[in-house]
Amino acid sequence: MIFPRSTEFRELPTHILWSALFLTSVGLAVLKSISQHSSGGLFQNPFSKQLLFLIPAVMLCILIYYTPRSLIHKYSYALYFLGIILVILPFFGAPQAGTHRWLYVGLPFTLQPSEFVKICTITALARYLSDHNLQMKKFTSVIIPIILVLFPTIIILQQPDLGTAIIMIAPILPMLYWAGASFFHLFLLLAPIFSMLTAFHTLAFTTWAVLLALIIFISRPKFMMGLILFFGNIFLGLFSPVLWNGLKPYQQNRILTLVNPSDDPLGAAYQIIQSKTAIGSGGLVGKGWGSGTQTQLKFLPVQESDFILSVMGEELGFIAIAVVLFVFGYFSVQILKYSYLSKDRFSSLVMIGCATIFISHVFVNTAMTVGLIPVKGLPFPFISAGGSFLITSYIMLGLVLKLSINYSD
Amino acid sequence: MLKADNIVTYRQFLAAAGLTWCLFGILIGRFFQIQILEYDWYSQKANSNRIRKVTTTAPRGLILDRNGQILVDNFPTYVLTAIPWELSDKGEKFEFISTVIGLDSNTVSKSYKKYYRGRFNPTRLAKDLTFDQVSRLEESRINLQGVYYENFPERYFPSRIRGSHIFGIVKEVDRDVRNSLRNKEEYELGDMIGWSGIEKRYENYLKGERGIIFYEVDAFGRELGYVKDLEPTDPEPGLNIITTLDLDIQYFIEGIMKNRKGVILVGLGDSGEILGAVSAPDFDPELFTGLILETTWNEIRNNPEKPLLNRFLQGMYPPGSIVKSVTQAALLEKADFDPNTLFHCDGSYQFGDRLFGCWWQEGHGELDLTGAMVNSCDIYFYKAVQYLELDQLAEMFIEFGFGEATQIDIPGEVYGLVPDKDYMNERHGRYNWSKGALLNICIGQGEVLVTPIQVLNYLNLLATRGNAYRPHLVMVDEPPVNEIPTLKDETWDRIISDMRLVITDENGTGKNAEPDIPGMLVYGKTGTAENAHGESHAWFIGWAEYADQKYSVVILLENAGSGGKVAAPIAKMIFNEIYKSDKLVYK
Repeated sequence: MIFPRSTEFRELPTHILWSALFLTSVGLAVLKSISQHSSGGLFQNPFSKQLLFLIPAVMLCILIYYTPRSLIHKYSYALYFLGIILVILPFFGAPQAGTHRWLYVGLPFTLQPSEFVKICTITALARYLSDHNLQMKKFTSVIIPIILVLFPTIIILQQPDLGTAIIMIAPILPMLYWAGASFFHLFLLLAPIFSMLTAFHTLAFTTWAVLLALIIFISRPKFMMGLILFFGNIFLGLFSPVLWNGLKPYQQNRILTLVNPSDDPLGAAYQIIQSKTAIGSGGLVGKGWGSGTQTQLKFLPVQESDFILSVMGEELGFIAIAVVLFVFGYFSVQILKYSYLSKDRFSSLVMIGCATIFISHVFVNTAMTVGLIPVKGLPFPFISAGGSFLITSYIMLGLVLKLSINYSD
Repeated sequence: MLKADNIVTYRQFLAAAGLTWCLFGILIGRFFQIQILEYDWYSQKANSNRIRKVTTTAPRGLILDRNGQILVDNFPTYVLTAIPWELSDKGEKFEFISTVIGLDSNTVSKSYKKYYRGRFNPTRLAKDLTFDQVSRLEESRINLQGVYYENFPERYFPSRIRGSHIFGIVKEVDRDVRNSLRNKEEYELGDMIGWSGIEKRYENYLKGERGIIFYEVDAFGRELGYVKDLEPTDPEPGLNIITTLDLDIQYFIEGIMKNRKGVILVGLGDSGEILGAVSAPDFDPELFTGLILETTWNEIRNNPEKPLLNRFLQGMYPPGSIVKSVTQAALLEKADFDPNTLFHCDGSYQFGDRLFGCWWQEGHGELDLTGAMVNSCDIYFYKAVQYLELDQLAEMFIEFGFGEATQIDIPGEVYGLVPDKDYMNERHGRYNWSKGALLNICIGQGEVLVTPIQVLNYLNLLATRGNAYRPHLVMVDEPPVNEIPTLKDETWDRIISDMRLVITDENGTGKNAEPDIPGMLVYGKTGTAENAHGESHAWFIGWAEYADQKYSVVILLENAGSGGKVAAPIAKMIFNEIYKSDKLVYK
């Protein structure tokens, strides 16, 4: 018996569990379609590989479910440092495809430690934001959480893996918001980024400057403080084109490829076009399982992970896509609900963190397949092939199931 | 719902949930836009967007002889393929194709099943089509939607020679073959891969690189032409290989070996280059290109004469008396044996409780070492070898390259066997063998086994006083070198002058090899090797010195009798041929 005690079973949020299992099965069905004619061993075939990875994933999910909340809380910092060591380890090995993302463990597959670090960061952050009776109104109490997140993020950026780095950063804002940080402080965190990005476009920069002034005016900080904030941002913005031009061309290139990698010889634009064509030609009900021309003729790149939704769009159609996205939306909002209902700060914060990771994965992946944002190699939770991420997703599922039950701790 | 100890307010939850639904709403909306509103446009695009990647087979490199004559070439044939997804009325079409190209329709559908890799991949229907057959199919193009053909170069052998064991065979890459390869991504099903001989050893030089063409194809499978932005690449033909072979010599020795069983090797002593090599019986190399019939294949494979066995690399033979020079060298180098020592041969020799006979039953009478070499007297060696330990003899065998690889540049070589003390202890038990074994080994009988290619290397070493390069079949800048046997000059002198006497002395066992060509000096040694398979194997090894060049010849005739009577005359024919055919300018 997985859920031995009847009282707990009653409280287990089964709709979250069923949603996850439904998405996993849909993913397997799509992977089976791709793998139909693939020859080679167990680990070359995405379907059987995914099926194999499900075993440790489900086992870890159950293990987490039976781990006492206090234990998770107690060891969250230790796990955080363990996680940091794990992301540093690949740097000691030879680079694979020019990156240090993967860890060789002597098995016919590799592990991507940055996936697991996402969880460690969330629990560490949740512990920091819940343990101390923080004065969240003070700006300084926002700084330590940011350092906690930036540390692994910067390491991952060095791998380099921009997609995962973005996901690492994502939970910080919702978690701070959940923990009670003021809206103005969160805005101040984001302001310099906007200043730098808009600086390359006159109209955008002007609009931003007006908006900045307006928000500072409304929030009424001390006069001197307001002035410093405003002009600090403006100068940063004005200075960034100079800074950019001061970089050597290869340094500029390095940053540009980080933002828009084109590891595919035909270019990222080609991938997006093929993906959109696949999805669009699927129509309302799709071309039928295993019959997508874009998919089966291999026009669609990385179909088993980054572009798996395009396969689904082509072969199963809009209805299937809408159902999957709706189920995922429901799944995420349910986690948010339990996070809100939880009376335990730590549990609540872990759950909002997990929800953010799930949602940002889905958003970045899906928006990429339909050409809303540039190509970022991120998988779709529960559906895309990918052992490390599947395991991570199930660990997060286990955390959510665990912490949502015991909200009265 | 709102409770004081909740960490966030209901408003905060609503904001988060609202934002989440907004994001999912945007995504679903975008899918609605692409899949429902813009369906027609994308659907059309998908239909016209079938870029088919077609790869074209690269012709393998040619194999040439030392004078640039083509020995192995390519012949253009066509392969018929079908794209299952575009193929309707399969049975009808297969029937039609078979009548046009004159094949059993079963063969076509069998091939279809064998090569099927999914509905969208080209699947092979038939191979080895001629231009004629393809033209006839082309006339009915309209009925053959989904059927395509591509150029496919096949091996063929334009010269007079077979050389089947030298060139080896190419094999079609099927699923099993492909899975067994280390660089499997470089091969597609239906490709040809070198499977033995030079074709295998130099596969990476010969194979070339596939060309790639991107065709744009519409929903009905009609080709719309090349894709604009994707430049087609032409196939890169494999590199040609120049062998050390001489077409005329190879042809001549293949002629000699017709209806015989054994090996002839002809080479240049100094450079180690092989001018001709036959292992007989062999097989027709053309059999392995194109469609080989199951029955033909079984016939070759089950032939008791083993035509597939490459005898000069893989045949292990007792060498008989041709290795007496090894024993001679061991006696002179390791035992300080006085070559003027006289022993009496009366046709037999009692050692322990066994009686060892000489091949000349009447006995040679009183002989010194030179006399023993010239007459190939066994008794003399039985008596002289008492001065040696088995391991000393074994060491000398190894110095001359026996018992180890010659590193010949075609795969599959076996090492033969040089028994030493450890080997004999292990094989027979510590006390179950005696010095009697040495008596057999010193005349090239008993446990010792050699391959003809090792014998060629040994012969080259004798001819060059140890300075020969290792035998090889392909011209290379730096041929592999031998470790030079460390013999005293007097020893070399004696071995070589004795081998000269074997040919010139009136009692010499090799006198039948003397071609009587002015200016040509022939050196040699015969061997008649007893074996378990019937009549003795006839050996002759020898080289001819002429115009600063050394031509070495190894002849082995299985179960043919006496080396001096059967093998030596063939060597004479070869020396004559070399002289006649103006091949004396090699350097």
